[in-house]
Amino acid sequence: MKESTGQRRKERLDRGIKVRSEGLYALMSWRELSYLFFPRLVLIGGILILPLVVPSMYWQRVISIVCIYALLALSFDFLAHYVGLVSLGGAFFIGTGGYLAAILNTSFGLPPLLTIPIATLLGAFICTLLLFPCLPLRGVYFAIVTLMYPLLLARVIEALDILGGTDGILGIESFANRWVEQYFIILIVLFFLFGTRRLVNQDIGLVFRAVKDNDQSVRASGISITYYKTIAVFISSAIGCLAGAYLVHLYMWAGLSTFALDFSILPIAATVIGGAGTLVGPVLGAFILVPISELLRAFGTLRIVFYALILLAFIIFRSEGIMVYGQRKYHQFEKWIKV
Amino acid sequence: MLEANGLMVFYENMLALNNVSIRCDENQIVGVFGANSAGKSTLMYTLSGIIEDIRKKEEMAGGERISVLGNITYLGNEIMGLKPSKRAKNGIVLCPERRRIFKECNVLENLRIGGYLATPAQAKDTLEYVFKVFPALEKLQKRIGGFLSGGEQQMLAIGRALMAQPKLLLLDEPLLGLSPLMQVVLVRATKEIRDEKGVSIIITEQYARPVLPIVDYAFILENGAAVLEGTRDELMNNPDVRSAYFGI
Repeated sequence: MKESTGQRRKERLDRGIKVRSEGLYALMSWRELSYLFFPRLVLIGGILILPLVVPSMYWQRVISIVCIYALLALSFDFLAHYVGLVSLGGAFFIGTGGYLAAILNTSFGLPPLLTIPIATLLGAFICTLLLFPCLPLRGVYFAIVTLMYPLLLARVIEALDILGGTDGILGIESFANRWVEQYFIILIVLFFLFGTRRLVNQDIGLVFRAVKDNDQSVRASGISITYYKTIAVFISSAIGCLAGAYLVHLYMWAGLSTFALDFSILPIAATVIGGAGTLVGPVLGAFILVPISELLRAFGTLRIVFYALILLAFIIFRSEGIMVYGQRKYHQFEKWIKV
Repeated sequence: MLEANGLMVFYENMLALNNVSIRCDENQIVGVFGANSAGKSTLMYTLSGIIEDIRKKEEMAGGERISVLGNITYLGNEIMGLKPSKRAKNGIVLCPERRRIFKECNVLENLRIGGYLATPAQAKDTLEYVFKVFPALEKLQKRIGGFLSGGEQQMLAIGRALMAQPKLLLLDEPLLGLSPLMQVVLVRATKEIRDEKGVSIIITEQYARPVLPIVDYAFILENGAAVLEGTRDELMNNPDVRSAYFGI
């Protein structure tokens, strides 16, 4: 810089420890190791402790629901911000996975330990198959298609009176006890959270992000984008179907409300609040939004008003999302400097 | 007419413009030359105020922090920090790099959108004037913008900027990716616009040779700093400039 003009600007720099711990030196010092692991351990520990510290069975049930939404938000974030497919298919995945698990359990008598994995894989297969013709669509068109499927399936079940019709499927086996019920889904959330994080950092994740960025260039590089989109949709719908299968075992009932629009919309709100494209952000978003919605029950019918106001405030004042903001504060510091 | 002093633009910690001062007088064509990443587009964004818009968007998305420092005086008023729409109302109109025409509107619609700030009478006159300066556009009135060739699109972009009744027209790389023949047409049209409309023009370009005959004064940017300035003849006689920007 030639001369000081007396003006100041805020400079933003990476913390030294962040730069150091990105290299091999992280292995050299406890301080740097803990810098890397501390946030992750807080997250893992916090989620694991949660069922033990909440006051009542009611809130333990809320945690299970939160985890279901967290999985859906994760699947939405992965598909929307790493592959570029905006999916409103939460309800579709939940419904498919849920009904499959219900059928497997009631008609074939399989225990939850088997129905959940089978419903996950089979459900993901069915969802991918149904979405396959729509893969060339992008943006709002794909969103509409994924939104139509749950509506369609719900009406088919209602009109043909199959799978229990409007009454739903009753008498589904529940989990052994409430601790199994809690920790099963919590471990699943953690597994998929770190699993997708690792996935997007690998070569296949690179292709996913490239598809999102510019699919023509990816095609020009000789990569079949349909193949990769299919894989991504499979992963995403597997996460959703797993949540659905868990949900019906939790409620011991599978009905038309598994196709409810909440499962499509709330994950998006959670993603916006938590920080799009961070994967962990949407999970945190779900952990904030769902309990808030429960707390607001005290307000009766005004609940939705407050809920909407909180969401609006978040979007206007922190539109980057909690995680993006948090990561910046953790990794970087700011100071005023003269220019 | 326009005087910018000590412009500094930081994209986060990267210095895009370093203490750049430029001026443009009434009815003058000022050239700004520099290689890629010299800061030409940033300069244009800063003058037209688009940088304020970009800054705000980045802030909302939690991206890079953009700091803009310095002052710009336009017709005696300080305009630093003013919104781009306000600046356009005051007569600073940007014709952006890579044209940015409305691809799904036809030529006439594109021009009419540009004429939002003009009165109906002005718009009518300017429309006729645009077709006079760029006769090629007149036959393409109903053609969709996205299907025009690069040269036609550039003519359209300049025409659209003219429709906003500029007093100071900022042309950001108008010759980008055009054939030498088309370059000549556009350069001639630029001069015509200055002579007939009395518009001051700031024009940026990487390669100075096609534009140089019409500029009155020129600045050379390198790595964000204005390293040289002078009239056309002064620059022409500078051996370094000749080899670097004129290819002689």
